[in-house]
Amino acid sequence: MKKAITPYLFVGPHLILFIVFILLPTIYGIYASFTQWNLMNDPQWVGLANYKTILFDTESTFHTQFLNGLKNTLLFVLLSVPLLIVLPLMAAVALQHKYVRAKGLMQSILYVPGLISISAAALIWLLIFNKQLGVTNNIFGSEAAWQATQPYAWIIIIVMTIWGGLGGNLIIYRASLAGVARDLYEAAEIDGAGSYRKFFSITLPSINFPLIYTFVMTTAGAFNVFGQPLMMTDGGPRQSTHVLMMYIRSLAFGHGESIAGMASAMAVLLGIVILIISALQYYVMNRSAR
Amino acid sequence: MKKPFIHALILCFTLMTVLSACSSGNSSKTITFWTPLTGEDGAFMDQLVKNYNATNPEIKVKHVVTADMYTKISTVLSTGKDIPDLAIIHADRVPGFVKQGKLEAMTGIMAAQPELKEENYLPQAWNTGNIDGVQYTVPLDIHSNAMYVNKDLLAKYGVEHWLDDNNVTVDEMLELQGKMEEGQYVVNDALIGWVMLAQIQNLGGDIQVDGKPAVDSDVFRQAYTSVKKIADAGLMTPFGEDGFLMFQSGNVLFSTDGTWSSTAHAAVEGLNLGVTNIYSVSPDKFTNRSSSHLFAMFENEKRADEKEAGIGQFLEFIRQNSMEWAKAGQIVASKQVIESPEYKNYMQSFFTSNDVQTQSLYIYTYEHYPYIQEAVDTYTADLIRGNIDLDETLATMQKFVEDKIAENESSGAK
Amino acid sequence: MTLTKGFSFSKYIAYAFLIILCLLWVLPVIFGISTSFRSQTEVVSTGFRLFPEAFVLENYSTILSNTSTAPIMRWLMNSVVIAVSHTLLVVLVISLTGYGYSRMKFKGRDALFFTLLGISFFPNVVNLIPSYKIIDMLGWVNTAWAMIIPGLAGMGNLFLVRQFMLGVPQEFDESARVDGANDFRIYVSIILPLMKPILIVCGLFSFVGSWNDFLWPVIVYTDVDKMPVTAGLLLLQDIYGNYRMIGQLVGSAILAMIPTLLLFAFAQKYFIQSINLNSGIKG
Repeated sequence: MKKAITPYLFVGPHLILFIVFILLPTIYGIYASFTQWNLMNDPQWVGLANYKTILFDTESTFHTQFLNGLKNTLLFVLLSVPLLIVLPLMAAVALQHKYVRAKGLMQSILYVPGLISISAAALIWLLIFNKQLGVTNNIFGSEAAWQATQPYAWIIIIVMTIWGGLGGNLIIYRASLAGVARDLYEAAEIDGAGSYRKFFSITLPSINFPLIYTFVMTTAGAFNVFGQPLMMTDGGPRQSTHVLMMYIRSLAFGHGESIAGMASAMAVLLGIVILIISALQYYVMNRSAR
Repeated sequence: MKKPFIHALILCFTLMTVLSACSSGNSSKTITFWTPLTGEDGAFMDQLVKNYNATNPEIKVKHVVTADMYTKISTVLSTGKDIPDLAIIHADRVPGFVKQGKLEAMTGIMAAQPELKEENYLPQAWNTGNIDGVQYTVPLDIHSNAMYVNKDLLAKYGVEHWLDDNNVTVDEMLELQGKMEEGQYVVNDALIGWVMLAQIQNLGGDIQVDGKPAVDSDVFRQAYTSVKKIADAGLMTPFGEDGFLMFQSGNVLFSTDGTWSSTAHAAVEGLNLGVTNIYSVSPDKFTNRSSSHLFAMFENEKRADEKEAGIGQFLEFIRQNSMEWAKAGQIVASKQVIESPEYKNYMQSFFTSNDVQTQSLYIYTYEHYPYIQEAVDTYTADLIRGNIDLDETLATMQKFVEDKIAENESSGAK
Repeated sequence: MTLTKGFSFSKYIAYAFLIILCLLWVLPVIFGISTSFRSQTEVVSTGFRLFPEAFVLENYSTILSNTSTAPIMRWLMNSVVIAVSHTLLVVLVISLTGYGYSRMKFKGRDALFFTLLGISFFPNVVNLIPSYKIIDMLGWVNTAWAMIIPGLAGMGNLFLVRQFMLGVPQEFDESARVDGANDFRIYVSIILPLMKPILIVCGLFSFVGSWNDFLWPVIVYTDVDKMPVTAGLLLLQDIYGNYRMIGQLVGSAILAMIPTLLLFAFAQKYFIQSINLNSGIKG
């Protein structure tokens, strides 16, 4: 009898917290997506109307916003996630090198940008990319106004994202690389394996899980992006960096009366996209690992 | 691992209790007053509140600055608890809140404080709070779009006469086409959305017809076509560049930002600063699109009558003593303040220096104005740079506003 | 001999890559710090330069001298209390729960775990109102609890810990079980010490996450005195987009990151202690 309840003593507290602070609000959010709601009055049930508008009413502003937002968000994910995986991994491998000194210092330098608040970071980068005052134009002689010209607008968003986000994954890779058994490398060295072969045949397979973990979590995080484009380009030029989360937020909490039902429906659709993609990533990577 | 961990936890919670205990106030004897006034504005308002509390009123006022006030208002309205006794809201929020029945009328307060009446305030500021004959707000200020002038640069190009009639027209600005030094411009694109909305007035048009939004209209077309000429002539700061900073660094004749920026501009050494009206597409009329900070009471059954009396006293105090607020660069709404000689020291007194000026301060009161503003803000930059087709975009903007209104009509029904 | 040669070659590649990367990463930081020592006039008039022309302390003195509307030292103190309590509780919850999801046997364990993980992926923008209502029901509005507790329900760190646990060989706890130890004994005396490195990593993530969260605290706090620093800093920024004292804004952000920086400096030596996240992918 006692045995049967012990597991719940371990997972129970978290489960309760999860139900109260994540599940209930999420259910309410999903419920809201079937309503019209201005955040002030009670939500009015409208069934699938919001979803129909967003997905099928090609005339509707919400349909165009959703498609444009989703397209831009996907683009952001495709551009940022690979860099947020590869760069920290390369840095971690380099830091792992046994003859490299000042590891702590370099690791700190790479981590610090993640500590700077996003509004201050945006200000710093806007100054750097400022056409008159900035470094890009003064030193590299580029004539473009970066925020208002593609592909530069995406470049500054991605640069700022990578700069701030590299540290987190770096720490996970550093931690996991440290756990790869030394003797594997030593054995490989005796076999005359070079650095590259060691990396691909020992390092990568042994940090399989951290790779899956960072890949899934970084992707899910990237789908939720809104701060960087909001502050760097405000969605421009021509709404080409206007990501879905920005549309959702301005529908729900923008000027004028809130259109929270529609915003919820967009958020649920985004959630489904994230879910499918993370499940696929997990499934594919996990399979290929075996 | 275990022991120090628990110690740390205990220490933290003790500290937390101590920290939260020492700042709990008595709420029945204070008026909680929420404002969205972050930055320096908040500090000036703090001073005003402090001055009021120093008069030893029966009920003191507690000023709370909130970074995301409207979101927070929706959260407290959803629970019905912690609703502030008094708040400052923007003019364009009034119709929405009133329609939802979330604002309490000022009727009782006005009865108790007879000086809180239209005659004592700038009329447009007072009237934004009047819906169907009921007064819901008392104004603090008008904050307006304003055009700052780099006087030295104006002299350098020999165009000081533009300011003679206080109306710099688009045609006048176009005279400098091809005459600007490299890297220098006539005007920047700060708050360009507000500038566009002023042109609608200058052209004698409006943003609505019979209560229906009218964005896809000839007035909008004309306004965009005219302002676009400035950009086409290469006289506007380039797209995507920080026109505000370019003005501060002395390379732009005019900056179209807000009355509140005067202190920031003044902090830049060597900038010989003046102020005038926003440029106009018409030689006959100029308009400065404005908004207003308004005192309002959110619907709350628990607000006691003596608190309402206290709020009345506070508003009357503000009416008489809000010179402090002029320091924030705002056009104070109380006539008593703006008519006093001291007010002339502030740059923004320009906008109330005569009747024509006062009338140039235009506040849109159309119920769905916020959506129109949003559409204008979203598309204007690309429109005047010719990045997108005008006719097509105006149709998109019209649809944008209509779709949003449609969503509200049905959810607003009580 | 050839071996060492190959080695030094790879060493140079590693160095070159790291030095370039670090330079790129540190330059904006230095630029930010130097901006906080420049006057507004200098920021808007001189082009990009790494160091200030005239070194001014005015930005910092303005920030620190405002103790009524923007008591930044008090905010920092609040943030420390919130972030430390939150982090300690996170460590407690994820270690306990991670043990549960990796070592305990109960029906539908992995299905439950991945269901929770999936649910947590839903964007939580419009959940603000229900979340606030829950906090209000608990009476936590305007208290630190609203900042400390809800984040404990998160799944990200738990995912990491569970995976770590799956990699720790079962022999450790089985031998203890044979000796008659129950699950709590095993958790406290065997698993917790083993988990230490991963808990430090997760603790750091929680601390930084809690420290930098600014959307939620703005909603749950009304007292300026009780606010954490990131929410407080928003009050320094003007409501108008283009009215900004750049040096002050950057300066206050730099002040706000000092505590996290110190924590990082302390915690980072633990990361390289062996953490084995690598084996045993299940589920």
